[in-house]
Amino acid sequence: MKTEQPPVVKRTLWSWVLTTNPKLQFLLIFIILFTVFSRVVPLEMQKRIVNEAIFLRKIDLLLIYCGVYLVAVIAQGALKFLINYIQTLIAQRALAGMRKDLYHHILTLPLSFFRKTQPGLVVSALTTELPLAGNFVGMAISVPVTNILTLLAFAAYLLWLNPLLALVSLSIYPVVVVLLPILQKRANQQNKRRVDTSRLMAGKIAEAVTGIHEIHGNGAYWIENNKFDFLVDKLMRIRILWTLYSQTIKVLNNFFTNLSPFLIFLLGGYLAMKGQLELGSLVAFLSAQEKLYTPWKELVAMYQVQQDASVQYARTMEYFDHEPDHLIEPSDREPYVFRGDFDVQNLSFLTESGIHLLDEISFSLGQGQNLALVGFSGSGKSTLAQCIGQLYRYTGGHVLLDGKEVEELSKKDITRNVGFVSQNPFIFSGTIQENLLYGCLANTGGGQNGGSDRMPTLDDIIAVLQQTGIFVDVLRFGLNTVLTIDQDQELAARVLRTRESFQASFGEKLAEYVEFFDENRYLYFSSVAENLTFGAANRDEFNPINLPQNTYFLRFLEEAQLTRPLLLLGTRLAEQMVDILVNMPPDKLFFEQSPIAPEELDDFRKIVERSKKAKLGQLEDADRTKLLELALRFTSGIHKTVALPEVLEALILEGRHLFREKISADDPDAFTFFQMTQYIYSQTILNNIFFGKINIFNPFAQEKINQSIVHLLIEEDFLETIIEIGMQFEVGSKGDRLSGGQRQKLSIARALLKKPPVLILDEATSALDNKSQTRIQNLLENRWKGKSTLISVVHRLDIIKNFDKVAVMKAGKICETGTYAELIAKKGLLYELEYGKK
Amino acid sequence: MNSNTEKNEAGATSEYQENLNILRQIDFFSGLPLEATKVFAYLCIREKFKSGDFLFQQDEEDEQAYYIISGSARLLHVDDGQEFIIRDCEEGEFLGRLALMSTMSRLFSLRARTDMICLTITREKFTKALEQFPDLMPKLIRVIVENIYSWEKRFVAHRTVDCSDCFKEIGVSLV
Repeated sequence: MKTEQPPVVKRTLWSWVLTTNPKLQFLLIFIILFTVFSRVVPLEMQKRIVNEAIFLRKIDLLLIYCGVYLVAVIAQGALKFLINYIQTLIAQRALAGMRKDLYHHILTLPLSFFRKTQPGLVVSALTTELPLAGNFVGMAISVPVTNILTLLAFAAYLLWLNPLLALVSLSIYPVVVVLLPILQKRANQQNKRRVDTSRLMAGKIAEAVTGIHEIHGNGAYWIENNKFDFLVDKLMRIRILWTLYSQTIKVLNNFFTNLSPFLIFLLGGYLAMKGQLELGSLVAFLSAQEKLYTPWKELVAMYQVQQDASVQYARTMEYFDHEPDHLIEPSDREPYVFRGDFDVQNLSFLTESGIHLLDEISFSLGQGQNLALVGFSGSGKSTLAQCIGQLYRYTGGHVLLDGKEVEELSKKDITRNVGFVSQNPFIFSGTIQENLLYGCLANTGGGQNGGSDRMPTLDDIIAVLQQTGIFVDVLRFGLNTVLTIDQDQELAARVLRTRESFQASFGEKLAEYVEFFDENRYLYFSSVAENLTFGAANRDEFNPINLPQNTYFLRFLEEAQLTRPLLLLGTRLAEQMVDILVNMPPDKLFFEQSPIAPEELDDFRKIVERSKKAKLGQLEDADRTKLLELALRFTSGIHKTVALPEVLEALILEGRHLFREKISADDPDAFTFFQMTQYIYSQTILNNIFFGKINIFNPFAQEKINQSIVHLLIEEDFLETIIEIGMQFEVGSKGDRLSGGQRQKLSIARALLKKPPVLILDEATSALDNKSQTRIQNLLENRWKGKSTLISVVHRLDIIKNFDKVAVMKAGKICETGTYAELIAKKGLLYELEYGKK
Repeated sequence: MNSNTEKNEAGATSEYQENLNILRQIDFFSGLPLEATKVFAYLCIREKFKSGDFLFQQDEEDEQAYYIISGSARLLHVDDGQEFIIRDCEEGEFLGRLALMSTMSRLFSLRARTDMICLTITREKFTKALEQFPDLMPKLIRVIVENIYSWEKRFVAHRTVDCSDCFKEIGVSLV
């Protein structure tokens, strides 16, 4: 470990310069000394070549001096490269350090901070604001040292050549040094405004992306556009001003440095005329003086970078300069293990604007007891749960957990002992398994060893999946997985064995729910393409999505006289879907029964417009391909807007046989045709077990099918494997591939898997249907009763009847506490909530 | 041959078109503009139930409405484990308007007496589609009110003497 450092937000920019690789910085200075030396050498050589070698006509001296000159120039280049390399190294290391430290710091900041901070702002701070500061750290020592030394070296050389002229030409620089900071101050002001506005803009973008549902839902494009455009224009004006000031500094600097030859001409010319200066000396002086410009310009540029970087760095660090509310982990002891006794005394929560969200709340709850918090919305029940769960810092009173003040416990004490499920639980992108184990993994602390023994076993996980009712969902994900050929031959073989037992024991019972892959029948729950090929493609060019471009397949369609009817079908589909959905938002719900995806709708709208003006044969190739693609996707059992004409159905069936004959002759390995004895790699595991597809979607049929499948999988000792596959299901960003109910079940399972002594549920079952809700309720009342202390914020009163205690809240206060029966008998607030005002 | 007649070759009636015809006969949808009815017709799903299956069950939120295309079902109420038959629902009936408007658990069960085919639409689909046609809400509310009113009017007109107890509880149209 490094020595104790102040929190990243308190560090100055210079501290990074000093602490980032001091050894490299030292090496850098050493190299710079060489470089400066190597810069003066050519000047001296130049003089010696003229004065000694050429003048004295000594070839050997000429060769030696030229050699030294060459070496010096090469050394200069090589050293310059080395300096740049080391600079980059330092800059990037400093940047990486800043980013990591700041990110680590930001994650620990209290929730109240994030309540008022746009996510986009954090992104912008970490990605775009810090790089300049990093660059500066890389340059901070090398550039000034190099250039000041070079400047001094040349200045000394000039003084040595002619003291009077040297003093005159150097007199310019103090003027610049005075003027520069004045202008820079203005540039800095603009830079600050630029940083702030850029942040606002980043925040605005993030807000629009997060709220895209609302924008589409209200058609509020122009409102958001106006807000954004305003910021962009503002930023544009600021950037113009900022650039203008920066450029003015450069121009002014150039002007003054160009003045100095002018002074030399004036004074030197006068002196030369008077015969006090030789013409040769004047020329020599002028050429030496020119060498001053480059280091000076670099110094000024450096000054500007330093100013900009400081402004941005300070702005960034200032913003995040907050303390975390709680210690992350205890330093001098192991985290506590609590029993789960709660004692809440006079608890208050006051917002910054002085509103009492919680007001003098007191209650106690013994280990293993459960408490329901009910009340009107806005009564403070969620806030109370969050204060108890250490998510918010309460402003008065006490929350004692086993006699210890929750406020003073470290985060780790809480996460080890408390399972918190919020109303809108967050699901991370990744697999179901990763999300399930998130809490458990966090508790292992990422240590290299000792982590694995605390992770739950597969049996634990399966138990929790069943308890929370997400088991069926995971099973379905597993069954809906498509295996790849190279993935698991052994697995495929087991599926095939399961198919046999399915046919033997359930075939008849489920026959009417499944459309079996039958060579001689049209499959209404498979697409037109699947109906034609009736097999799984073994090569990419024959995959359904590539068929509309596959020339072999297109030729086959012509031969089978299918092109025209399919194009007609595609046109009809496009017309219908565009007609129905043209004004609908791109919500998944509206597109479940559509062969057209939301993002394609506009393309198809244009195609439909064009197709109305032209005959089918006159359509452009691209349009024909799209229409054909649509027709090949058409699955008549799902896409009900267009009926499949009987003639076409017969043609397709005929085509299926033609295609098989044709491709078996031309390219026998291209397809594996559907056969009872073979695993179908293009289909899901479930379809493989069935050797067909489910043709009915009502919940009762679904339930029957599920039961049979579970039964079958248990018999085949295959259930665990399928669950394991199902747990690898990728949930999508923010879990968008899961339903609201699935997300809640998953988050409850995630909390239960930790087996916490305290469980806090903040309306954790609000998105669940009745059955799932009852299941969870039973689970809490039976399995977890007595093991975990439960505090549950409840919005539906039908589940609170068996709670040990019910607390009814109103306006931040607990108005009545007791069992459900007691409170109803009392005909107070709870009665009013349940039956309305009498 | 112009493109229109070309398209008509494919002319078998699709399920969607049949649904559209059905919806236009249901009071709840018949007064709506065609543009909206089309969307509802598209979002409807046909479900098959076998004799003995439950379409919905007491105390559950199934959150959808049903139109019986074929078959018949029995409306039941279970009290203390005892099953009371309310009445039978037949072909052409539309049930569950209120479930489309708001969350509520069913006070009755509906069990198929024969194999049935129903047209269903879920509340989620209904409300999301309705968001696109906000001006329709007043019309729909009017239909619901008319439904409740005429139900109670019928009830009052048909009451019999042995119903004197339940008569004290009526007045739904006064809520």
